[in-house]
Amino acid sequence: MSTTETTASPHPQPTGYTSPLSRGRDGFRQLLHAEWTKLRTVRRWSLTLLGAVLATILASLLSAQGNQTSGGEDTIAVSADGTTVRDNFRFVHQSLTGDGSVTVRVAGIVPAPGRNADRPPILSPWTKAGLIAKASTVPGTGYAAIMLTPGHGVRFQHDFTGDTAGSSAGTAAPRWLRLTRTGALLTGYESTDGATWHKVGSAKPAGLSDTIEVGMFTTSPEAVTMNRSFSSTEVNGELGMATATFDHYTADGRVTGTLRPDDVRRAASSPNGPFPGMPSNTSTADNGTYTITAAGDIAPLEPDMDPVQQGLRGTMTGLIPLAALGVLFITAEFRRGMILTTFTASPRRGRVLAAKAVVLGAVTFVAGLLAALVSFGITRGILRGNGFKPPMFPEARWSDGSVLRALVGTGVLMALVTVCALAVGTLLRNTAAGIAVVVVVMVLPQILISGLPLGAARFLVQSTPMAGFSIQNTTHRVPQVDNVCLPEEGCYTYGPYAGLGVLAAYTAVLLALAVWQLRRRKV
Amino acid sequence: MPAPITERSSAHRPRAAVPRAPDHTHRGQHPLRLFPAAVHAEWTKLRTLSSTWWLLAAITAATVAAGAAATGALSSEHCPPPGSCDPDQVRTALTGLWIGQAIVAVLGVLMACNEYATGTIHTTLTAIPDRLRVLAAKAVLLAGITTATAVPAVGGSLLAARFILPTRGHKLAHPAISLTDGATARAAIGAVLYLVAIALLSLGLAFLLRDTAGAITTALGLLYVFPLLAGFVNSPTWQDNIRTFGPASAGQSITATHHLDALPIAPWPGLGVLALYAAAALTCGSIALCRRDA
Repeated sequence: MSTTETTASPHPQPTGYTSPLSRGRDGFRQLLHAEWTKLRTVRRWSLTLLGAVLATILASLLSAQGNQTSGGEDTIAVSADGTTVRDNFRFVHQSLTGDGSVTVRVAGIVPAPGRNADRPPILSPWTKAGLIAKASTVPGTGYAAIMLTPGHGVRFQHDFTGDTAGSSAGTAAPRWLRLTRTGALLTGYESTDGATWHKVGSAKPAGLSDTIEVGMFTTSPEAVTMNRSFSSTEVNGELGMATATFDHYTADGRVTGTLRPDDVRRAASSPNGPFPGMPSNTSTADNGTYTITAAGDIAPLEPDMDPVQQGLRGTMTGLIPLAALGVLFITAEFRRGMILTTFTASPRRGRVLAAKAVVLGAVTFVAGLLAALVSFGITRGILRGNGFKPPMFPEARWSDGSVLRALVGTGVLMALVTVCALAVGTLLRNTAAGIAVVVVVMVLPQILISGLPLGAARFLVQSTPMAGFSIQNTTHRVPQVDNVCLPEEGCYTYGPYAGLGVLAAYTAVLLALAVWQLRRRKV
Repeated sequence: MPAPITERSSAHRPRAAVPRAPDHTHRGQHPLRLFPAAVHAEWTKLRTLSSTWWLLAAITAATVAAGAAATGALSSEHCPPPGSCDPDQVRTALTGLWIGQAIVAVLGVLMACNEYATGTIHTTLTAIPDRLRVLAAKAVLLAGITTATAVPAVGGSLLAARFILPTRGHKLAHPAISLTDGATARAAIGAVLYLVAIALLSLGLAFLLRDTAGAITTALGLLYVFPLLAGFVNSPTWQDNIRTFGPASAGQSITATHHLDALPIAPWPGLGVLALYAAAALTCGSIALCRRDA
């Protein structure tokens, strides 16, 4: 193909004819306009866009309808900053006014028979036994605690979300723990022998008055076991009780009252207490040795489902028509020979593809955003009606940062996938193969991961383009809670933007390959 | 004047051939009126496209590779009491059907849509004006080549699993995969029929929609949207309903070899659901083909 420089031609037209039209310009803006005209004037493509939006909304609607929850347990408390938390433990405590400190030796933590007396008791790695200073025995109030855990060593935790790790080596009891109060500051120390002390962490818990409750506590969350074989995942949350033994308890400062046991928990509506069928918490004191047996947890409560994400589940269905649109936007030109006209008008092929990507990306972003907004608006009410309501599932508002991120992110996600499809279409130059490849790569991992072992499933979710779906996640997970995190249920082990970054990287690489191929190969 | 002479002589040639032609065309049946000849014509069209062979190779390769990968990923580390995990090995070995079916759908769609895209359909319908015969010839040929591809794909998958499973260190609760086992044989035969049904479903859609992109998208949507939705809902009733009425998820119940009572739909009725989809698509496709201008 020889390039003719029209502007540099010094010769007048031999016929003397001059076009009455002003000379066209070949800027990028004109290219965008040309591509927009192509997209807008093919009626089938507009219908495909509409179909993608409708498919997204309809599938979101269906998956919202098909999700029910019993609404969660009735032991939920709300912390000072509005987080829903679990705050259930056995507390052997006394009041402390002003500065002071408490010291204890945790002699041992053993599992205790729980609900199923016939099964061997299981000890959760996050069973907690140690010292706590709390504003009051009302669940949800501020606290700071230094504790020993069977699986995660010594920890200093405060106000449910704060967590600092102490020593993990030699976590086996006995272990000396100390909690000191200086003004508003609470500091946790640990020691192996009761003589040499190491600071673990310090914090200023919310809402502590001059007089607080200090003492020993034990609590044990459910031990989660998972049996995951192909095509079925069995998750068993075994409510485990734990028995911790304490001795050498000393308290310094203006301590009033003798040690008295209390169960910190919200008054449960069920007669059997918070955990039906569980033995109740107990504590005994015998000649300076305290034995506390309890079940529960002091931690943020993480719902196992994200209603916002659940309301956007139709996105993947909407991607199927969008994949077709993206592939067709270039393969139709190859098929009809239109590409010759396009490249004659604008010989710089990379720019043509860039213009196509920009136009297609912008249009599908708008369509995706629209679909996400409508889906979220419709499914919110349905999910609330199906049991996804406060306090277990906090009300999602349009103005929440995470909700906005999920909605706008859905638009970005759909745009990126469509541009990916455009690049694949350019590389393969074949409509049928292009559509099949994009659909299979985007959709199949989601179908297959529920049957794969957890490691393989996580790998698929993190390293294939479907990683981009993490942008729809609005829940914040803390590491100090053992949760069943199943990729097929939309649980991602990394942040929302990282996943979208993976998809963006795929898009960039595919586009670069497409430009390279487009310039290299004949049309 | 050499040019007119050659023109005249070339004009003479067909006329000279005319007397021989009536023997063939006017008396009795034109060869293409016979069904085997129609199938043969389709076969010629199909085998002379290099894309056909690529697609057939891809079906076998992708099915076996994905099945081997899935079998290789089996692990018993998450089974607390050893031996309590009881994965359906045959079903796992046939995981590749999920990919193979997409390529089969492409094959089925292209068999009709390629003719519409290039205009060959006019020639085909001129040669064989009985349109149902064209569709039947295509369907028979498609079923034949899909079977010929699915047999090595399914056999290869099972064979690969037979070799891979012992290397995974499994304490196998079941004996090695063998076709002498009734359920395994049913799964293997069913898997072949499953792919054939999907090919016919795609062919029907292709005649109905006549547009490559539209037919592919519809076929893939039918195959993949139901299992997607089933994974997104948590209510068991919904899951079972979606899996019962979705063509792919219902059809794949044919590959299950144990825990059959846990299936949303029994193996053969499940394949029947898929067959109904295929029959409906073919019926709609043939009505569209006969009623509409080509």
